[in-house]
Formats: sequence, C-alpha cells, structure tokens
Amino acid sequence: MTTTLSTPGLSRSLNGSAATVAKLFDNYSPHATAWDELFARGGDPHSHCTKLVERLGQLFLKEFHARRGSADMAFVNQGITFSVYSDRRGTEKIFPFDLIPRMIPAKEWADLEKGLVQRIKALNLFLQDVYNEQRILKEKVIPEDLVLGSKGFRKEMIGFTPPGGVYIHICGTDLIRDADGQFLVLEDNGRTPSGVSYVLENRAVMKKVFPQLFADIRVKRVEDYPQRLREALSSVTCNGANTPPNVVVLSPGQYNSAYFEHSFLARHMGVEMVFGPDLFVQDDTVYLKTTRGPQKVDVIYRRLDDDFLDPEAFRPDSLLGVPGLFKAYRAGNVTLANAVGTGVADDKAVYPYTEDMVRFYLKEEPLLKNVPTYICARPADLRYTLDHLEELVVKAVNESGGYGMLMGPSSTAAQRSEFAAKIKENPRNYIAQPVVTLSTCPTWTDEGTAPRHVDLRPYIISGKTTWVLPGGLTRTALTKGSLVVNSSQGGGSKDTWVVD
Amino acid sequence: MISRVAEQCFWMARYLERVENTARVLEVNRTLLLDFHVPLEQQWRPLLIISGIHDYKGEVTAEAVQEYMTWERDNPFSVISSLFWARENARIIREVISGEMWERLNYYHLWMQGTAGRDAYDSNRHEFYSQVRRINQLLHGIADTTMSHGEAWEFFKLGTHLERASQTARIMDVKYHTLLARAEDIGTPVDNAHWVAILMSCSGYEPFHKKPRSAPIDPGTAVAEFLIYDEQFPRSIRWCLWECESAATAAAGNPVGRARTPVETRIAELLAWLDARTIHTIVRDGLHEALTHVVDTVHDVGEAVHSTFFAPEALVPRAAPATQSQNGSSQTQTLGTMTQTQG
Repeated sequence: MTTTLSTPGLSRSLNGSAATVAKLFDNYSPHATAWDELFARGGDPHSHCTKLVERLGQLFLKEFHARRGSADMAFVNQGITFSVYSDRRGTEKIFPFDLIPRMIPAKEWADLEKGLVQRIKALNLFLQDVYNEQRILKEKVIPEDLVLGSKGFRKEMIGFTPPGGVYIHICGTDLIRDADGQFLVLEDNGRTPSGVSYVLENRAVMKKVFPQLFADIRVKRVEDYPQRLREALSSVTCNGANTPPNVVVLSPGQYNSAYFEHSFLARHMGVEMVFGPDLFVQDDTVYLKTTRGPQKVDVIYRRLDDDFLDPEAFRPDSLLGVPGLFKAYRAGNVTLANAVGTGVADDKAVYPYTEDMVRFYLKEEPLLKNVPTYICARPADLRYTLDHLEELVVKAVNESGGYGMLMGPSSTAAQRSEFAAKIKENPRNYIAQPVVTLSTCPTWTDEGTAPRHVDLRPYIISGKTTWVLPGGLTRTALTKGSLVVNSSQGGGSKDTWVVD
Repeated sequence: MISRVAEQCFWMARYLERVENTARVLEVNRTLLLDFHVPLEQQWRPLLIISGIHDYKGEVTAEAVQEYMTWERDNPFSVISSLFWARENARIIREVISGEMWERLNYYHLWMQGTAGRDAYDSNRHEFYSQVRRINQLLHGIADTTMSHGEAWEFFKLGTHLERASQTARIMDVKYHTLLARAEDIGTPVDNAHWVAILMSCSGYEPFHKKPRSAPIDPGTAVAEFLIYDEQFPRSIRWCLWECESAATAAAGNPVGRARTPVETRIAELLAWLDARTIHTIVRDGLHEALTHVVDTVHDVGEAVHSTFFAPEALVPRAAPATQSQNGSSQTQTLGTMTQTQG
C-alpha cells in the first residue's frame, strides 16, 4: 500500500526567508471571474468570513505548514483512504485535504436547506408515481420513454411502495455556485451517495488542528449525522421489526473503494457492518448469521447497487448480494435504504425535469435551479449540442465520478469528433450543459494560497421527517483552472462551515 | 457477534499459530538431522507428510523442502501463505482486533513479502526461524493487552489452542516418521538427543526438567507424556484442549441449563479418551496411532466449530418445509474463510 500525501511546494516555501514573515493570505489574488467563497469582489472578506480570514490571516506560513503536517498524519494513521479503480497498483490514497475551510452564512444555508427539502420531496413523489400510477407520464410532463427506458428504472418495483413510502433515505445533491454567487443543482445522487465520512473526519481533524477557531467562530455541528441516519432508518421499518429495529450496513467488501466509509458509518451508527454472505433469507425474512444463531434484520443500509443486491432478482452472477432479498423486500419484511429503483430519479437525462416535478407534485416554484441542460434525446438539443461542443460539458447519463465526460473548452478537435460520433450513435445516453464557472475558494497550492474551484454536496436524510446535514462535502479541484472536483480525478476536500 | 467476524478471528489465530509451528517443525527437523544420518528420502519427506501434504512433486532435499514450506505461495501450509491468510483475515476485522495488532501483523507480512525476510533466511537460517516464531508470540502479547476480551477474544483463543493441540501432535509425530523405525535405536543416546530436540522445539526443555518425577521412566516416554498430558505446560495437548473447552463454553454463552454445543461435546470426548489412557498404554498401542487420533479429532472439532458458530442458518425455526439450500458448510476447513469474491 502506498499512501500519497499532497505536500506541494512544502520544502521550497520553507526555504525562502519569506516563509518566516509571509502570512497565509498575503499574496492571495482571487480568480478573475469566478465567485470567491471567502473574499468579495472588492478584496475584503465576505462579512461572514471576516473572523476566519482575520484569524487564519495571522498565521505565518511556517505555522500553517506545521498544522498541515499534523492534519495529514492524522489521516494516514487512521487509514482514512480510498482506492482508485483505474490505478493498476491498487493503491490506497488519502483524500487530499485542504485546511482553509469553505464558509456558508447561516441565512443563505437556511434557504438552501428549504430548497433541498423541497427537491427531495418532489423526487420521492416522482418515484412513488412512476412505480405506481405514472401520472406524470400520462400527463406528458416527462416523456414516457425517457423514464421507462432509463437504466435506473426497475420494473420489479411497479406496484410496490417501500416501508414508510420513503425511496431516497440518503441523498447527496451536488451543488455549484456560478459567477453571480447563485447555487445551482448539478446532479442528484439518489442511489448510494458516498463521501459523508470525509465530512465528519475533516471536521474532527479541523477541531484537532485549529481548536481556537472553533472557540471563536460558531460553526454548526455535523457530528450528529450517524445518529440522525440511524433514527431515520429506524423510523421507516418493516413488518415484525425488532424493538429497537435491527439495522445493518451492507458493504460489497473490503476491496470496494468506499470500504472505509462503510465501516466508519457502521461504527458511528453503532450497528453491524455486514457482507452479503453474512445474510440469508428464509420464508421471506432476512437473517444475520451470528454465533448465537440467526438474528432477524429489519433495515439494510446497503452500499451496493441494485444490480448486485440479489442474484435471484437481478444480476445472477452477483456474489455480493443476498439470494431472496428482493422477495423479502417486496413482502414488506425488510427496509432497504435507499429503495430499489431510485436510479431513475437521478438519471442525468431525467434530471432536467426535476424543476417540473416540483411544480407538478408540490404546486410550488422550485427554490433551487438546475444548470440549463440540453437533452440529446431531443433532436433540437442534439443539433445544438453537436454544433457547440467547444462550449459545452457533455456527460454520459449513466456514468459518475467524472468518467465519460467531455469538457468542451479544454478538449482537442480529435476528442470532440470522437465524442460527437458516440453521441450520434446513442443520443439518449448524453446530456450537455454550458460550462459554469464554478466558484473558487482560497486553497493551499504549489504557488501558495490560490483560488481553486469547488462544489458542494449536502447530505439529506429522510425517514418520517427530512433532515439536512449543515454544510456537506466541499470538493475542490487541486489543479489550476480545473473544474473537475471528483476524488477519483485527483480532487481534494475542505471542511464546510455553516456560520452565523 | 456476526458469524463471519468470529470465523475470521478464529482463522486469523489458527494461521498465526500455524506460522509459528511450521517454523518450529522445520527447525526441529534441521536439528535432528544434524547428528543423525538417514537416507535422503527419509530426511524431509516426513515433514511434508505430517503437514498433510501428499502431492508434493519437487525434490526432497533439505533446501527444496525448506523453500517449499517457507516461501512457496502455492503451498497453503507454507509460512508465507499462512502469514498472508492471517493478515487477510485480520484486515477485514480491523475494528475487532486492536490497531496495534493490525500494524504488527501488517509489518511482518511486509517483512516476509519483501527482501528483508529473504535476506534473514539466506544469512542465518536458525535466527530466521526464531524470528518467525516470535511473530505469533508478539501478537499474542499485543492481543492480550490491547484487544477487548469479549466474544471475539474467545474465538481467537479457540483458534489458537485448537491449532496448537494439533501442531504439538504433529511435531511429536516427526519423530515417528523420521527415526523410530528401528526398534534397536530406542533408548540410545541418539534417541534421547532427539527427544530433547523435540522438547526444545516446543519450548518445553526447562519446564520438563523442573517437573518432579516419582518413578524412573525412559526419556522418550517421559517427553511424550509431558507433551500430551502435562497439566501446566501451555503447549501440551491436554492443556490446549482445556483452553479450547473454556473458550468454546464462553463463546456459546452460559445460560443455565443450556445444552452443550457439539464443539464442547467433541472436545470433552477427546479429553475423556486421553484420560482413559496413560502414556504407557499409548506407547504400547502405538504413539503414532494416538497422535493420529488427536489430529483427526481436532479436525472434527474444527468442523463442529464451523457448523455451530459460523453457519447458523440451520437454526431458524421453519414456518414451512425447508426449501433453502445450505450454502455455508461447503467452505474448506483447512484453508479458512477467505473465499468471498469481491466485484
């Protein structure tokens, strides 16, 4: 196992005598056009960032480096790592962590929270609808073939409502902020969103490294997440559940890239982490194999895609799942979180219709806007996309993690023609969006403190009620100018502070 | 606790014990051969036989067999394989064992996999095998002082002592396969020297000599008695079985009136079998046969551990006639539990 630490420019900066006098924000110059998360256009910090900039701004670089070192060591020692599939050596890496937090004022957060709750409500009603009456299709708000032809649509779910009527128990909604400072939804992750363990670990490390900052600035807590999740899952339980309900986290195994997170969540929720072969089904009831005999399982927080859940219902070659699980689920004897078939709601081709869903089901105007999107399945949009490849971001609808996309402005002519061929071959598989200049946040880099693009993934938990984790995961591109923030593409993360 | 976690803990302990004992067997065989010249075929093949390896195709020279039993990754009983599987099991139950255990185990795994272990092997064979023996000893020390002594700990103990009972029997059996073929050698100084070597390979030299003895007894019989029956020596078969019994009882929980598990029954039966005999009747009827019985019964205990604790599907009260196939019992006992496939 090799552990890669990002310590760009460390030795160089320390050698210069400037390092002893230079301070963290001395030479910071914000991005020319992007919204800066800490500094307003005039160069002064945003009002909610004043205290942070003042405190961090007093740090000499040497001190800052010492604290960076201790933060990195904390991650390495605890083995807080992820695996990168494309890396042939199968190495485990630490998720590069930047010590300068990203700030969101509480008032703005309250609006965001309302928008997120509204959106998740609509997505949930959409799922309930498409697997039952299909009103939204009949009334032609969304094209029927788009929904029924989606890879995420599971006909096996038709006519079944999961316990408590909740489909998306955990949602990670990716937000970006445009040049005007407006938050836009980039995508919803309603299947098995990951990353929340980094939010909690980042906060723990920040508290270790900068205890005084937390004494001076009131930051909304994130530590309640695991218990909130457990409560939410326990509130929508199945037939014949134990008291309290027996909740487990189902992981695909120790070689999964998010294995650390699965075990982290299980430990912090105080529940067992299990693998598929630890469970078995008899008489449509799910049991955990324990040394004291079988134990009925009531709720499964599964970190396994639908395809792999149950070889009897889905992919027969899956060794990760539990034979008979889906039948037990349909019999109402176990809760799966998230429900089976939620992929149809976060399909990138269905995404452009989420604002319409809000209007259709809730009779409200959507509080959160989408990024304008061209759906290549529509002839006009397809034509526009092919004509403007240079200006657009094109995404394959069934890929995640930054795979299968074309960044128009930074692409070569060869890449564009290759992509154009792919799009023409299967238009349904692609959407295109104008390039949004993501907001930036001061980030420590090779050149000192410099602006780097960031996004934000808040986590929304739904049981009987809905709760939003204050803040969320701020992912940051580490390469100058890069707009791709995914960890699998070399991005890092920051702590996100919701402050008064 | 989850059956798989218990199983992985159990097998981690067994593999670790196997690492130590394979090093012990290799070392005792080397020592035995230093002062006794037996035909080449008889020198190292017995070692493969007692390890349960019957399909070895290579040469049976000292170097070839030591290489095979130490470094061959395709040999599931080699030191390097056992250590690898101990670590693989540990890796998945990192929250159950202590962080210190994991770090040390990982360290020695990397030592064996890298050049450092190989260099030690090439430059000083004796010191190398001593070092390998210390891995398990060190880990037991760390486990004792850092791991929670809960249910997982009982499975760790059960795995350790079940494996050790079997390994002590196997180490003694080296003597049978190597040398005892010639009846006129029994009781000669050479024979005695070999019993001493076996004793030393079990770290039993000093405890053996401190033991007060009422009647004179030939050294071979005395050593065998000590390694089978001693009530205080932690590598004697009886002592190991006692430990297994207490671990199995603790693992099964102690509600009043609980029926004995098949594991406890099998262990009790083996203890009763030993109690019904003395070292003299065992030697008379054949030491090798007795040791074989021990090894076979320990294997059965292992099967009982599996069906009792690791494959509890059979225990669900059934509402309807059984249609479910039992998929848990097909795993290979000797190779442990690392058969999950991850996609």
